[in-house]
Amino acid sequence: MDGYRIMIIDDEKIVGDMAKMALEKEGYLVETFMNAEPALERLKAVKFDVVVTDFKMKGIDGMEVLKRVKSLYPGTKVIMITAFANLDTAIEALRGDVYDFFPKPVKIKELKASIQRALKKA
Amino acid sequence: MTKSSPGFFKLVFDRVRRVTYRQLPFQALFEIFQGVLESNNRALEIITDMGEKLGGDYLFDIHYVKEAYSKLSAALAVSIRKFDLLTSGKYSLLHEVYSRIDKQISNTIYDLPLTSGKRVAFYEDITWDMRREVGGKNAGLSDLKNILKVNVPPGFAVTTYAFDEFVRYNGLNEKIDALGKDAVMSEAELDKLHSMIINAEIPPELDRDIDAALKRLMAGCGGYCRLAVRSSGEEEDGEISFSGQFDTLLNVPSAADKFKDAYKKVVASLFSIHAITYQRSFGYRIGKLKMAVGCMAMVDAASSGVIYSVNPGGDRETMMINSVWGLGRTVVEGKADADLYIVRKGVNPEVIHEKRGGKNSMEVNAAEGGTLTVDTPDVLKGRPSLTAGQVRELAIQALFIEKYFRKPQDIEWAIDKSGNIYILQSRQLRAGESKRDSVSGAPPVEPKTVLMKGKGIVVQKGVGAGRVFIINNGDELGHFPKGAVLVARHDSSHFVRLMPYVSAIITDTGTPTSHMASLCREFRVPAIVNTGDATSILRHGQEITVDARDENNSVYDGIVQELVGHAYSDSPEMESVYEYRKKRYVLRYISPLNLIDPTVDDFAPEGCKTIHDILRFMHEKSITEIIDRAEHGVNLNGRIAFKLELPIPADILVVDIGGGLEPAGDLSKKHIGRRDTVTVERITSIPLKAVIKGMLYPGAWHSETIPLGMNDLITSMTRMSDIVSESRTKVFHNVAIASKEYVNLNMKFGYHFNILDCYCSENARNNHIYFRFAGGATDILKRSRRVKLIAEVLKAYGFSLWTKGDLLVARLANMKRDEMEDILNRLGRLIAYIRKLDALLRDDSSIERYAKRFLEGNYDLK
Repeated sequence: MDGYRIMIIDDEKIVGDMAKMALEKEGYLVETFMNAEPALERLKAVKFDVVVTDFKMKGIDGMEVLKRVKSLYPGTKVIMITAFANLDTAIEALRGDVYDFFPKPVKIKELKASIQRALKKA
Repeated sequence: MTKSSPGFFKLVFDRVRRVTYRQLPFQALFEIFQGVLESNNRALEIITDMGEKLGGDYLFDIHYVKEAYSKLSAALAVSIRKFDLLTSGKYSLLHEVYSRIDKQISNTIYDLPLTSGKRVAFYEDITWDMRREVGGKNAGLSDLKNILKVNVPPGFAVTTYAFDEFVRYNGLNEKIDALGKDAVMSEAELDKLHSMIINAEIPPELDRDIDAALKRLMAGCGGYCRLAVRSSGEEEDGEISFSGQFDTLLNVPSAADKFKDAYKKVVASLFSIHAITYQRSFGYRIGKLKMAVGCMAMVDAASSGVIYSVNPGGDRETMMINSVWGLGRTVVEGKADADLYIVRKGVNPEVIHEKRGGKNSMEVNAAEGGTLTVDTPDVLKGRPSLTAGQVRELAIQALFIEKYFRKPQDIEWAIDKSGNIYILQSRQLRAGESKRDSVSGAPPVEPKTVLMKGKGIVVQKGVGAGRVFIINNGDELGHFPKGAVLVARHDSSHFVRLMPYVSAIITDTGTPTSHMASLCREFRVPAIVNTGDATSILRHGQEITVDARDENNSVYDGIVQELVGHAYSDSPEMESVYEYRKKRYVLRYISPLNLIDPTVDDFAPEGCKTIHDILRFMHEKSITEIIDRAEHGVNLNGRIAFKLELPIPADILVVDIGGGLEPAGDLSKKHIGRRDTVTVERITSIPLKAVIKGMLYPGAWHSETIPLGMNDLITSMTRMSDIVSESRTKVFHNVAIASKEYVNLNMKFGYHFNILDCYCSENARNNHIYFRFAGGATDILKRSRRVKLIAEVLKAYGFSLWTKGDLLVARLANMKRDEMEDILNRLGRLIAYIRKLDALLRDDSSIERYAKRFLEGNYDLK
């Protein structure tokens, strides 16, 4: 897994910090952001292989992140995580071009597996 | 006057309320009782879920914590309300205790400051919930002293509350807050802040408290001692070491002003340039960290040093001890040419390598305070600074501490001139734990004999190895060897006293939400419950390795060294994420269990420190209450009692409070028996049926007369008057109050009483058996022998017991329904069997003989 770039966007620091710790151990290059604007700025400069984003955020939300990522890099996979899990959000997300969708709390093992699958497909 | 009015009204209100509750029919009370159990269980499930989600395997956010806690609060509120009803509000203090714990939890969730309002706390008074206030180092030392009973010099903590006061009093807050905002504060500005602290004034209340504490410390040291004044930051010695980041001042004279100067110096070291850089690199918000300070009696050390409980070279089976003459700071700072001992770990630690250091100079206490480095006297220079016995003793203590903390330890120690060993600090050792090492996760395991695989439920992950020690009854707890693997039929919160010494626990039955399971998590003891048959697969004394790193757990024959080496790698990676540690902290007020033994004074609302404690307290007291109510003055509200048709003269009336008997309509339809009697087949109460079946077991009930001796006759005649006077006030029947899952059976046979209270349902956590036996017609010696016999038998069934003379109280809890039924059946046989047995117990040897016979299923009296 060495060298793949993963971006984590979540407005709570703990999510980014924990994900970074878990994913860096797998050899990924991980960058975390607490809101979407600087994350999208960064994306303009560097391509990421997988973007893991919170669904509901102040300002630019997860669906918007998805759109912008896809317009920049159609091949980049987007995984959505959300604290407000209900059927509607799941359907909305999956109707878009979301690779995977997890309600929080997310089992780290499952997130890792999903990222691995996403990278194989890419 | 006005002040006392609310108290008066409360008193009147309580009285009225109490009277009202007393009049509730038993069935209503019983339903309330069930309600308490139900909401308690819901609460415990939420606690278990929180433990799992906050355990490092999940990405979670504060929404989850808030939501889970609000669900928990709702369940608890229902529980407490019902509990109040059940117990007539007699534990009203519980509300106060709960609101205090709730406040601590809310403060943690919303990141508000936590304080007990204490400025100073002695080590012996520090409890885990004060961890943040006293800082990591002080908390660790008090754990060593209070839990592990390790020899720690006397001392006290000056808390973060005092720190806040100190900062506010001197108007330093703004300056410190500014630290967090400025990306880089210049070194000159930090220097300025530093000197402001050094010149600051100690607030008067703190001044007073420090003076009192110093006085108490001196009194404890025989009048005079020098002090070691040490930093204890909020997070220090936790997962992030902070080692060497803050100041420690040694050999400080005990005059109050000297101590206060030292205090300020240590506080100021929080803001040194290197300490700030360090905090930043670990993601701390600068200016948020608070400093508690430790003050400890200075050991006049003959030799001192450091132990690494695993060899930093990577060999986890050995430990390393460094030692010098005098004080140990040179070892800590890595400057000394110290003696080195490599010790193989084990029950008998063994030195496998020894290197004599030059030790040309040594650090000693200076007469005027502070320390100085002097040339080592020639007579000491070439000599080893430790005796073989001291090396061994240090190794044993280190193993003991490591076992408790479940992580490799970096331990500072000193030996005084009389040869007493003191532990000065113990913190997690970071060395020798490479990232890659834990990435690869499971080390390859050599093919070994697998004794068990995938059985049961892992309630605490980890690896443990040692000899199997099978516990059959509570008496054996005292013989448990340190480091063994505890194997038992049932789980029990009584195992708590062994937790620091247990390598792993395996039980045949049990649940992940039991009290024991939560203790295992608290003490990080790897544990597998509900394996079904561990006690029959594993042999007492056999060496095994328990690999409970995930659900596919395995138990291997022998010690698997590759696995044992990994005993510490239970998700250490997340521990280094500050945000994670901070959020997880909330569990400290939720899941640990401190109330263990209902027979000690601490078992009171005041003793509750966590939500789990409150639940445990309510559970226990609800059972006591229902037993008490069933026994005294039950208001059955006009319910009909049915006489049980039995082939033995047991004379039992059954009062159905819901599902205990087949409905009356059906009874009359089937024309079975008279309308006011009921046959055994009609009993639908699970526990009542089980115990009656036992009483009717072929051969258990003896109808033949057993001749009484002269002594017994006289005793029985004098005891007659008691019985007769009692019979005037009591109905002369044995009574069973029964529901589908519950029975309270109150039986008198001749001169002795049996009281059985039992809840037996599909949910093992609700289940309990309470059995009380008292009295008899024979002389006290024989009656006591009968009680001893009952105790022998019940012990074998796993009951915990209390006996005095001819009185016995036995309890058993948290067993599965089918096992409960089996034990109730055996208890029924026992109740029948022992009715007249006392007359035959002519000497002590007969106790064991009859107990053995009974356990073998031989109910012959001859």
